[in-house]
Amino acid sequence: MLRREFLWLIVPGSLAPRLLLSQQSGPAPPPPAPVPWTLGLNPATPLTHTVAADAVATTELHFFSPAQMATLTRLSDVLLPPLSAMPGALEAEAPAFLDFLIGSSAAPRKQLYLEGLDWLEREAQTRYRRSFKELTGEQIDPMLRPWLRTWMTDHPPQESHADFINIAHADIRTATVNSKRWSDAPISGASERTPVALYWLPIEPDLGGNKAACAAAPAVDAPKSEHTLPTYPR
Amino acid sequence: METVDVLIIGSGHAGGMAAKILTERGIRCLMLNAGPVADVARDAKKTAAYDLPYRGFKPPGRLEHVFQANEFNTNVWVDEQEVPYTFDPAQPYNWVRVRLFGGRSLFWSRQSFRLSDFEFKAKTHDGFGEDWPISYAEVAPFYSRVEEIFQVAGAQDGPPQMPNGTFLPDDAPWSESMQRFIQAAKPRKIAVCKQRRAEGRDGLASSVNLLLPDAEKTGKLTSVANAVVRQLTLDKNTGRVDGCHFIDRLSRREMQVKARVVVLAAGTLESTRLLLNSGLANSSGLVGRYLMDQSYGAGVTCSVPEARGGRTTDKLMGGSAIVPRFRNIKDRQVNFLRGYALNVTSRKGALDPRNFAAYGAELQRKMDEYNGSAFYMTMMGEVLGRYENHVRINPEKVDAWGIPVLHVETKYTDNEVRMAEDAVTVAAELAHAAGFEVLAQNAVPNPPGYSIHEVGTCRMGDDPKRSVLNKWSQSHDHKNLFVVDGAGFTSAGWQNPTMTILALSMRASEHLAESMRRQEI
Repeated sequence: MLRREFLWLIVPGSLAPRLLLSQQSGPAPPPPAPVPWTLGLNPATPLTHTVAADAVATTELHFFSPAQMATLTRLSDVLLPPLSAMPGALEAEAPAFLDFLIGSSAAPRKQLYLEGLDWLEREAQTRYRRSFKELTGEQIDPMLRPWLRTWMTDHPPQESHADFINIAHADIRTATVNSKRWSDAPISGASERTPVALYWLPIEPDLGGNKAACAAAPAVDAPKSEHTLPTYPR
Repeated sequence: METVDVLIIGSGHAGGMAAKILTERGIRCLMLNAGPVADVARDAKKTAAYDLPYRGFKPPGRLEHVFQANEFNTNVWVDEQEVPYTFDPAQPYNWVRVRLFGGRSLFWSRQSFRLSDFEFKAKTHDGFGEDWPISYAEVAPFYSRVEEIFQVAGAQDGPPQMPNGTFLPDDAPWSESMQRFIQAAKPRKIAVCKQRRAEGRDGLASSVNLLLPDAEKTGKLTSVANAVVRQLTLDKNTGRVDGCHFIDRLSRREMQVKARVVVLAAGTLESTRLLLNSGLANSSGLVGRYLMDQSYGAGVTCSVPEARGGRTTDKLMGGSAIVPRFRNIKDRQVNFLRGYALNVTSRKGALDPRNFAAYGAELQRKMDEYNGSAFYMTMMGEVLGRYENHVRINPEKVDAWGIPVLHVETKYTDNEVRMAEDAVTVAAELAHAAGFEVLAQNAVPNPPGYSIHEVGTCRMGDDPKRSVLNKWSQSHDHKNLFVVDGAGFTSAGWQNPTMTILALSMRASEHLAESMRRQEI
């Protein structure tokens, strides 16, 4: 039985309210500061306007080698150049974004890109004795065209080279279409629109942070202080 | 702590229906759900892809096996690292889960079909597998009531393998591209029917708006969020289940509840995982066996030439159709058992760039030219129930709450592969006959599980040695234990399973309520 219910049973009616009151409101602790620190934020508080970092900063490159990045940059420009009013992959900084995305991805996707970019550079040297980044669009076209395929969602081509060309093409397009630059351009015809949709925030995220990946990280004890403070169990 | 009348584990279509039926008959229910309540006003906001950390790409390393995930919806799915499952890398399985209140009823395509006796009595028809212990006639009245609740729209145009029902009438005229498709199908004796879709209310057809509010209105339903059930408990003296142990998802406090009856509705594989981890209901040894779903992924993408070059119109393009299974209905026609349906869609919008083997300015010209001319056909194929396709507990691995995880061992066989090849051949033939251009095609099925239609693993039957549940979705071994989600399916059919899950949960819950009234349970 709850303690409060117990009191109701043994205390005569007239006394009970005062007893309960005294149980609930002891002497208030002294205020820690002129304004209690939990107060202030309220629904009328203005929300600061922020922009995506892409608008003001560039991605630091970590994953592809400078040679691979040069190949990816040339490939992106050829596959999705600026067309009429629409920005191309380079204006959307798609190659730098892909350096981040692919560098964060699982091994098979990394391998597909690394091998694909190296293959393009080898092909350029074999065919033209020049680096891929120096080739004209006319020189690049016969290197790409034999590998272009049509394909359905989740089923990209499996064949070597065709897999890289078609998957990279789709990624370069998505990184471009989903950029702020593309979104700001006046869209015409059948050009794809930058998706605007309901984004679900983490919903009551797990407080334990005990996901397998997090749990794998070793716990680090806080360094011991030379000054000891009195402590008590809470 | 008081013992509740009925403990319902899971809050999706199956659990929501059980709660509605039982509470409306005066029975006090406690519903445990493993995740929180999703509040769209609090938890979601309209955002452009460029404002997201990964520009709309699926965040790497998360949800590798949820092909449906993108960055916008990443946080609604169960995290594969938080609740892992294992499989042989050569035989991947896509287990797609939602633990929010309402479960996967929050996110579904709403296609709403009845099974027929081609499914309920499939063995009688072709000799493979097992018949269900129930017939279409027994389930039909429940389908009607479910269709009423879910506001299913459709036409009374189904052949016997796709029984008609209680529909909001769809009498919209076919677009001209659809009429051409129908004409192409006719000489091949392939029926083309109006789609059947749950309209729901206020744009949603979910447990959270169509079922749970009715249960709450009775004052008999208590729900607890973030209750991750570890194990069902058994009264050894009576052989009855008597409650469960669960863990608070956020604090990891261990708790328990007692109940007179337990209704499992956690979703096919979670219900089965719970039974296996509890060591219950398995005198047949068949808990986890006969995992099935529908094979998706095969299909063709076409273009209607007359709609190109800016000539697309509402009269020419638009609308969707279902081609119900037509293989192996009257006789054995092909080199596989059972059959598949085709989802058919005519659309005025843009075609995806991957439908053109081109890039740069040439690709843009093609996309402009073909804009508004898309015509899609995709397969939903029946996957056969096989003993070897199963799940079991992996004793080596636990989830974030220390609960042993599932190992999934299942693969598609020649039957599913041949079926997918046939579907693409037929779809391409129909497209050519209708005068459409086939732009892209694929005959390779997606990994098992992709359709999010996993069923079986606690199949129902009359013989306790050959089935886990009886025809009332009730455990043969424990009379006060019911499994009302897709786990009870004896065969999968080509149909989306939701209407059948709802109808069977309704039927089982009414049987349970009546048994409790008569004090038989």
